[in-house]
Amino acid sequence: MADLFARFAPLMAQRDQLFAEGRDPFSVQMTEVLSQTEAVIGNRRTILVGTNNYLGLTFAPEALAAAHEALDAGGTGTTGSRVANGTYAGHAELEATLRDFYGTKHAMVFSTGFLANLGVLSTLMGPDDFILMDADCHASIYDGVRASSAQIIRFKHNDAADLDKRLARLADKPGNKLIVIEGIYSMLGDIAPIKDFVAVKKKYENVYLLSDEAHSLGVLGKFGRGLPEQEGVEDDVDFIVGTFSKSVGTVGGFCVSNHPQFEILRLVCRAYVFTASLPPAVIAAANVNLGLVKKGGALRARLQRNAQQLHAGLSELGLKIASNASPVVAVVAPDPQVAVAFWRGLLDAGVYVNLALPPATPYGYSLLRASLCAAHTEEQIDEVIGIFRDVATSLGLIDAPRKRVAAR
Amino acid sequence: MSAGSAGEPSPETFAVLSDLIGQFNKTGVALTPTTRFAEDLNFDSLVVMEFVAAVEDRFDISMPLNILPDIATIDDFGRALEKLLAEDGR
Repeated sequence: MADLFARFAPLMAQRDQLFAEGRDPFSVQMTEVLSQTEAVIGNRRTILVGTNNYLGLTFAPEALAAAHEALDAGGTGTTGSRVANGTYAGHAELEATLRDFYGTKHAMVFSTGFLANLGVLSTLMGPDDFILMDADCHASIYDGVRASSAQIIRFKHNDAADLDKRLARLADKPGNKLIVIEGIYSMLGDIAPIKDFVAVKKKYENVYLLSDEAHSLGVLGKFGRGLPEQEGVEDDVDFIVGTFSKSVGTVGGFCVSNHPQFEILRLVCRAYVFTASLPPAVIAAANVNLGLVKKGGALRARLQRNAQQLHAGLSELGLKIASNASPVVAVVAPDPQVAVAFWRGLLDAGVYVNLALPPATPYGYSLLRASLCAAHTEEQIDEVIGIFRDVATSLGLIDAPRKRVAAR
Repeated sequence: MSAGSAGEPSPETFAVLSDLIGQFNKTGVALTPTTRFAEDLNFDSLVVMEFVAAVEDRFDISMPLNILPDIATIDDFGRALEKLLAEDGR
């Protein structure tokens, strides 16, 4: 009889080969978090460029104060689901804040963004329905649709014409159709052509659109409502799923909608019914930070400047970047071995980015994934670019340093 | 192409699938009805998705991902495809 873990043997072999020497990229320990942009890793002060902390709100004084107060008043946890144990006033307030933020009639808070996708996508559509998902969607969307009784169809990433073709094939089938996309895709930072998707959606009957705004909440739109706000199509997006764990600076997930029967999801989403609700301190922090996101125009401008600085700096070095400037800047390494060496070189020199390897990446890319923060300074980003230059040069990925950067 | 049944898929189905598999087959393994996608052809989940899309376009049909867990061999795929075509009145 094969060992219980025998089927992971190929992955274990790959892990052992890649991480035999030096630090294991998936076990990095931050012994001390110094700020939104720096931590101590292995006794070294390290610039964090892989946190998804886009607006830098994890230490917002207003949120810290509210969280402290809620912690002392409400305790360290709710110890159960809202359906079984009841709703705290803070949960209801946070949902009211979300309704106000998005201008929707309904809002439902989950314990994480992953659970929000899992709960909504596994429940929303029935056996006669179809879910059409972008091929590059997040793992939580894949797991959600896998748990759904609906028929699942994938369309080519960011390709409205391909979606159109697939919807046309389903046009005479009864049942509702749900299109699932993301505002900004996490690995490469590329943005959905949502206007094109909306145009395709409008060609057919009984089609709904869900956008996962995990990486675009707080980042896009004048008021931070993400891609639908920026592109002026909010009325055409039927469901928005999001997370508090990125721009909102804490943890938790949500879904908002104007569908009149939305509230029934509270009784049928198992990921909502059978999970402990968020603790009071987290709820209070999310509530305050959503307000800061809404009036965070200056932070968004700062974030975009930082993204452009890093994107331009790394491009000028001659590195391959996977998409246009967005708060995610993903450098493509030639293969997993080089990516791991690159990642280690950066960390040893005091820069933390995310290492992302296939199969977790699109196109089989091996990525050094950087995400910017509004709190990064121009000097920090210059330093990051310089360290990228040194490591890439030592690995033979780029030629000798170019003048402009070398003169720094 | 014959309508789907519980039996073996038609030789025509096998021929079309073999043709479509060709562009994704990096192993050079000769294809038979019992060739397995994962073990014999090293198809990972991404390649499987590309292959399904190619089949969908060739037959202008929707192949939901839900059918994939029950498919190991080319014949398994052929049976699932013929069933879908039959449901579609073809």
